[in-house]
Amino acid sequence: MNDNLIVVILLLAISILAFIFYPEKGLLNKWRRIKANNEKILLEDALKHLFECEYNSTDCTLISISGFLSTSQGHSSKIIVKLEEMGLVKRIGTKIHLTPEGKSYALKIIRIHRLWEKHLADNTSIREEEWHILAELEEHKLTDDEVNRLAAKLGNPLKDPHGDPIPTENVEIPEQKGIELTDLKEGDIAKIYHIEDQPLEVFSKLTSLGLSPGMIIRLIEKNTTNIRIECEGEELNISPILSFNIQVVPIGDSEELIESRDTLSNIPVGEEAVIVGLSKSLRGQQRRRLLDFGIVPGTVIKARLKSLSGDPTAYEVRGTTVALRKNQSDKIFIKRKNLL
Amino acid sequence: MKIETIHDNSIIATANKLRWEVGDYFHDSLIESIYKEAEVISNKVVTTEGKKSQFDFDKFIDQIVTNKWTGFPIMFLLLASVFWITIIGANYPSGLIASVLVDTIHPFLKNLASSINIPWYINGVLIDGGYLAMAWVVSVMLPPMAIFFPMFTLLEDFGYLPRVAFNMDNIYRRVGAHGKQALTMTMGFGCNAAGVIAARIIDSPRERLIAIITNNFSLCNGRWPTQILIATIFIGNLVPPIYGGIASAAAVVSVALLGIFFSLVVSWSLSKTVLKGEASAFSLELPPYRPPRILQTLYTSLIDRTLFVLWRAIVFAIPAGIVIWLVANVNIQGISLAEYFIRFVDPFALFIGLNGVIILAYVIAIPANEIVIPTVLMLTVLVTGVTGVGSGSGVMFELNNIDDVSMLLKAGGWTTLTGINLMLFSLLHNPCSTTIFTIYKETKSWKWTLLATLLPIMMGITICLLVAQLWRIFT
Repeated sequence: MNDNLIVVILLLAISILAFIFYPEKGLLNKWRRIKANNEKILLEDALKHLFECEYNSTDCTLISISGFLSTSQGHSSKIIVKLEEMGLVKRIGTKIHLTPEGKSYALKIIRIHRLWEKHLADNTSIREEEWHILAELEEHKLTDDEVNRLAAKLGNPLKDPHGDPIPTENVEIPEQKGIELTDLKEGDIAKIYHIEDQPLEVFSKLTSLGLSPGMIIRLIEKNTTNIRIECEGEELNISPILSFNIQVVPIGDSEELIESRDTLSNIPVGEEAVIVGLSKSLRGQQRRRLLDFGIVPGTVIKARLKSLSGDPTAYEVRGTTVALRKNQSDKIFIKRKNLL
Repeated sequence: MKIETIHDNSIIATANKLRWEVGDYFHDSLIESIYKEAEVISNKVVTTEGKKSQFDFDKFIDQIVTNKWTGFPIMFLLLASVFWITIIGANYPSGLIASVLVDTIHPFLKNLASSINIPWYINGVLIDGGYLAMAWVVSVMLPPMAIFFPMFTLLEDFGYLPRVAFNMDNIYRRVGAHGKQALTMTMGFGCNAAGVIAARIIDSPRERLIAIITNNFSLCNGRWPTQILIATIFIGNLVPPIYGGIASAAAVVSVALLGIFFSLVVSWSLSKTVLKGEASAFSLELPPYRPPRILQTLYTSLIDRTLFVLWRAIVFAIPAGIVIWLVANVNIQGISLAEYFIRFVDPFALFIGLNGVIILAYVIAIPANEIVIPTVLMLTVLVTGVTGVGSGSGVMFELNNIDDVSMLLKAGGWTTLTGINLMLFSLLHNPCSTTIFTIYKETKSWKWTLLATLLPIMMGITICLLVAQLWRIFT
């Protein structure tokens, strides 16, 4: 009886120990791997942050890094030391710079991130708000091979769904070319690329207005004495002298800036219109399907019939009748026939 | 060689650089220019004449069938008459086929087998098991499908069905599905396997999966007889005899409506949960009306749909018939396998308001819902030991007199609760094996096949349990 008990206890102890220490599948190993993984994620995120800073011509500090990684400054300085040992970053005074190896490593991560966002936008119905979160997880997982296959499947896209460029396989990314704020047209949307810090009075005036690189602005109105912009929901007035210190990068292709905001869903049954463009938010299969139907800029389209419940509506386009839901016709921009 | 490689790389590099200048939306411009070019060509070479009046005819019909006041009644009348013609029209040929296959050929084969001294068990397995199950499936399944599918296809060919999808889309959009699911669902009332195949008309991946997985909630042809029989016996009895017919008809219709309700609810929850990430793109073309090509329609609907489905059903029915005969005839210590199983599941089955006979019948009659009732009757005789009905253990049968069925079932311990729950369980249980196989063929995925199989049966058990508990509280 007692012997049996001892055997049982022994077996139990052995299996528990095996469970913890078993190579590869044991708990200890798993824990180590998770820790290594977390470490890897932090290192890669730090590189990414450093790259973003350089791309937007701002300086990275230990504070901004620990803010980005949401860890303590002690921990992030350890991370920087580690990156320095790996030859990926270089410290000059308080400033931290990427080495060429560090830059290409960072670009690799960004490439995965943006490709994955593109994939989610084109091939799934996952909502826009979730793309970034999911891509943040995926960017640390994919191997080079998987990434290249994904890129090929997506047709080697140039830009992610937010309009940011995707680094190529050889980790190249086009330089951001900034233009003067005054070169923007009214209504244009742009990202602040650089704020010149000389003369200092102008610079401090601009920063006191709350402007900093990376912010998205929209030009509302400009004349010789005043430039009015919208920035993070606030309207700001900037005198032209100050504005020479601000360099911006316009967002969105010029082809995307469709003048007409009249949509197909607005035309009543029986009326004709000419298509002027499809919204960028029509993506993947959705967009291809519409193009296949001949819903392309320049086509005449006529609202023919409403469903008995009011949605969808049938449209006549190039001799066929196609039913479109309101959430689709909302994204097709048109010009009315009588306004042409 | 080396120079060449460098050269290639520089070409690719140049191409890559140029791509940045072309932009990401060059596909759009490409298609746009193709259309422009095509338009120029067609304007040059195509002439049209006298097309106007034809077009107005289309417009006239469209305005009637999508009108707020006339659209629904027309749809309801058309679909209801299709069902009515199917049910009424299938009665006679079904009886005819049954009298040939079951009442004439079956005894003939039995006599033949005994005259040439084939051992009783081989004779039982092959003739009472395999052959009879096949004969049953053919006689009950063939006529309704041969009537329903051609009529449905004619409506499709005429151009009316896309208008139904057009009208119903609003409801289906709200539950994350496609208007065409109204059509696959209606098709499912004829046969779920055919409904699953019909989901091919939906080209958006997510909506197509939803249509496939929820098709089983359409009460198929094989389940209507069960519903009508059980409603007549257990629901019709609850009210005075004159209202019996109306009450049981109302009960059957409510079960069918409940099925539609479940298909919408399940569509909604699928599109919000497991199918959330699947790609989705709406498109629906409304073709012009045209006179249906009757002969071609008859041919395609009979060959492609009816015989195709029937063949799959037969392939599954024969082995199932053999299993049915075996579980009723293989005895261990004088008790058949069927009885062992029934005794084993009885506590659980009774707890959820069914009984072991029903559970076993649904397990072994998986090839076709049509043979559930014959199997239930045979098993009830086996378990209760009632004499004078049926033709031996393991041999499925049906009774012509509804009172006899009622007596037999009540002898088997059936109550009104059993009847109600059987009606619910008949609506909410796994699809027949033909449909499961078809789902796999269409989705090529075990995951979705498993989901489509297990989801309804879980719902069925849950709903039966709930009803049983409520029943016990209130009575």
